[in-house]
Amino acid sequence: MNDTDATILEISGLSKSFGKYTVLTDVNYSLRKGEIAAIIGPNGAGKTTFFNLITGYHHVDGGTIRFEGREITDWPRHRIARAGISRAFQVSNIYPRLTTYENVRQAILAQEKRTLDIFTPANGLARQSTLELLELTGLLPNRDTVAGILSQGDKKKLELALALAGKPELLLLDEPTAGMSSEETHETMDLVKRLNAQIGLTILFTEHDISVIFGYARKLSVLYQGVLIAEGTPEEVRKSEEAQRCYLGEEV
Amino acid sequence: MKNKTLFAVILILLAVVLPFIVPVFWVHVLTEILIMGLFAASFNMIFGYMGQLTFGHAAYYGVGAYTTGLLMVKANVPLLVCLPLSMLSAGLCAALLGYFCVKLRGIYFAILTMAFGQLVYYIIFQWYSFTGGDNGLQGIVPPEFLGKAANPYYFFTLTVVTIGMIALWIISESPFGYTMRAIRDNAERTEFIGINVQRYMLLNFIIAAMFAGLAGALWGPFNRSVAPDLTNWQHSGMPVFMTVMGGPFSFLGPLVGSAIYTFLMALVTSFTEYWPLVSGVIIILVVLLMPGGFLGLLDEKFPFLMRKGNGTGKTDGQGRQER
Amino acid sequence: MDITSLFTQFLSGLTYGTILFLVAAGLSLIFGVMNILNFAHAALWLMGAYFSYTFWNLMQSYSFAFWLSIPLAGFAAAAVGWVLEMVLIKRIYKRELYEQLLITYSVALILSDTIKLTWGVTNKLIVRPEMIRKPVFIFGAPLDSYFIFVILAGAAVAIGLWWFLKYTRYGHIVKAAVFSREMVSALGIPIPRIYTWVFTLGIFLAGFAGGIQAPIGSITLGMDTAIIIQAFCVVVIGGFGSLLGTLVGSLIVGEVMSFTILFWPEGAMVLIFVITAAILIVRPWGLFGTPMRT
Repeated sequence: MNDTDATILEISGLSKSFGKYTVLTDVNYSLRKGEIAAIIGPNGAGKTTFFNLITGYHHVDGGTIRFEGREITDWPRHRIARAGISRAFQVSNIYPRLTTYENVRQAILAQEKRTLDIFTPANGLARQSTLELLELTGLLPNRDTVAGILSQGDKKKLELALALAGKPELLLLDEPTAGMSSEETHETMDLVKRLNAQIGLTILFTEHDISVIFGYARKLSVLYQGVLIAEGTPEEVRKSEEAQRCYLGEEV
Repeated sequence: MKNKTLFAVILILLAVVLPFIVPVFWVHVLTEILIMGLFAASFNMIFGYMGQLTFGHAAYYGVGAYTTGLLMVKANVPLLVCLPLSMLSAGLCAALLGYFCVKLRGIYFAILTMAFGQLVYYIIFQWYSFTGGDNGLQGIVPPEFLGKAANPYYFFTLTVVTIGMIALWIISESPFGYTMRAIRDNAERTEFIGINVQRYMLLNFIIAAMFAGLAGALWGPFNRSVAPDLTNWQHSGMPVFMTVMGGPFSFLGPLVGSAIYTFLMALVTSFTEYWPLVSGVIIILVVLLMPGGFLGLLDEKFPFLMRKGNGTGKTDGQGRQER
Repeated sequence: MDITSLFTQFLSGLTYGTILFLVAAGLSLIFGVMNILNFAHAALWLMGAYFSYTFWNLMQSYSFAFWLSIPLAGFAAAAVGWVLEMVLIKRIYKRELYEQLLITYSVALILSDTIKLTWGVTNKLIVRPEMIRKPVFIFGAPLDSYFIFVILAGAAVAIGLWWFLKYTRYGHIVKAAVFSREMVSALGIPIPRIYTWVFTLGIFLAGFAGGIQAPIGSITLGMDTAIIIQAFCVVVIGGFGSLLGTLVGSLIVGEVMSFTILFWPEGAMVLIFVITAAILIVRPWGLFGTPMRT
């Protein structure tokens, strides 16, 4: 049974403005299941807003978002998360006063729908899965550290762990390797690539690091001033005139 | 974990032994400490664990008190039946009012809870035919099997409050309780892990109100009467005082705070009428100098006493972690 | 209900609304600029009333004693407010919400007892000068002649504040600070000093309002606990930090109280709280407040 050609995300005519400032204009985007895709663009191009609209952080002004065939355009955030879209934030959005262990456990308990339980002591629950996820993301040594004082790179790992805990079908990563050393970067992206291969997790990420884009993304889109100006494999995009003119020309 | 359990056991032992060695007046004080302690602990479910300041919690305390009072005086319902009914009525009231409150956060949440609290106060105050209005309800007596002496009602209260505190403890250590901590720490992230934060906040609000209602229910037979003042904003300030005095981010803080506050009040009012002045000064000193409350102070000076087994990551007002 | 009675109620509501305005203006200003909800505001208002009594008492032999005692009350209260700000409020600028509320609430408790200690428990009565002892008739409706002064004083304060905010440099700074403290600080203007003056001004208004209140009925202990909550309602309805909002809010509360008492006396306060709650639910920043405030 082969559903790798199924479209997991279908976005059409997406627009968003904040007051007089238009961030996204009529963006069309689609993603196939099992794809690893990236979006690049200069700061302010609208990448984070794009993610925000998909995950329900903001309301869309125009356009539709379909996920696995269902329209999720106006769904509340928690419902979108439950539907299978998880997100790792650009600025770490973790639980600063809980330990790393508690952070991950919380996300796992939420995914397992155990959070309405008022009778069972939480301390014994989800031990196995929490430790597994901690190990997967390289956080095991820091599990008892209060998350607020983790290093920048570790916080990013925790971001990823929290997103993965939701057992998503689609994983949105907002600059997942920012602040990481070259070694950590490869660790993280290799993990992401492995998950994609093993369980068919669809990945969409934004990045500024070109080597990461070319090393891991199979599809690349360029967002510039709220408009998608180029799309294709990384090589195709690199060669495209528009991209070079607007963005890549400055980088490469 | 171990030291906390030891602390709790010591408290219980004290609670059981004291009534036999202190004068009757102080047994009354102890009863009040327990009732207010439960009230404050229920408040802390919303404040310490969920991170929102409610300044109208006395409304549910009062609803519980009046439910029991009315049922006992007008319908002769036994106290043991009144207790769960008070929890129910307080919970229903909280479901209605809390639905609106949880749409807000921070200072707006605080003011709306205060406004609703006053609303309940004025409804009770003005509904003379039903609640007795300004006069309150008189003649609420403890049930026959407890008799008229102070000790039996004290032990009854001790039993109910202990059960209530254990229930609150279980809830606070459950996945739901940890979700409250998560909401307090980062409500936004909690949405993104798939939790309907408003709904959870409402559930917690209702649970907290139910236990406030339980505390209120115990108050009526203790005081032999209930009055609308039980629901006003000053009374809503009580659990805030007590929790901050005892230690805002620990489970037993509110109870410890209740003990300190009620004890001091009983002591001070016996030789001066200026308790507001004294309590005002004390609160200011506590807030300015003891951000972790009394338990926070103990933690600082005698760390071995308060060590918990698991790192809960809770911090006191200065951002220190408790491990 | 004939026109005259309605008009009487309207005037009565207008007067009460003016008093609320005078109390709430300072509260709104302090919260708008400093983000601190001053629970002690009504206690300082009451202190102002007692101050004015004392001043009037001392100067009784002079004909202007009655009138002078009112602004003097404002200054006396402002002095207390200034000390309070320097000694205590300064320490809680950056504290959590619950700490700020507890501190101002404690100050209210301390001040209430201080009033009791200083002036005792008996009610104080200020004797009015001859000219304002008889009612005045407006369109046939009787109005306590002192109330005319109250309404005029309220209008004067409103205009004065408006002029201050719109046309003076300090007023501009205050208005900017309501909008964004960071900007004002970035412009090199010392925030703590602004806070001290704003707080003192707010307390002056409270004390002045107390002075205005004093000749109405008598001055009794406990008046403050009744009015503090109503002042909160005014500020919530009108919007924190908005002068126009406070004015509108106080008139709404004053008139709603006045008219509701006619046909549903028990429900007057209930209705006020329902309105307050409704505003908080639908538009938390009030009718004229700024949404950015969290």
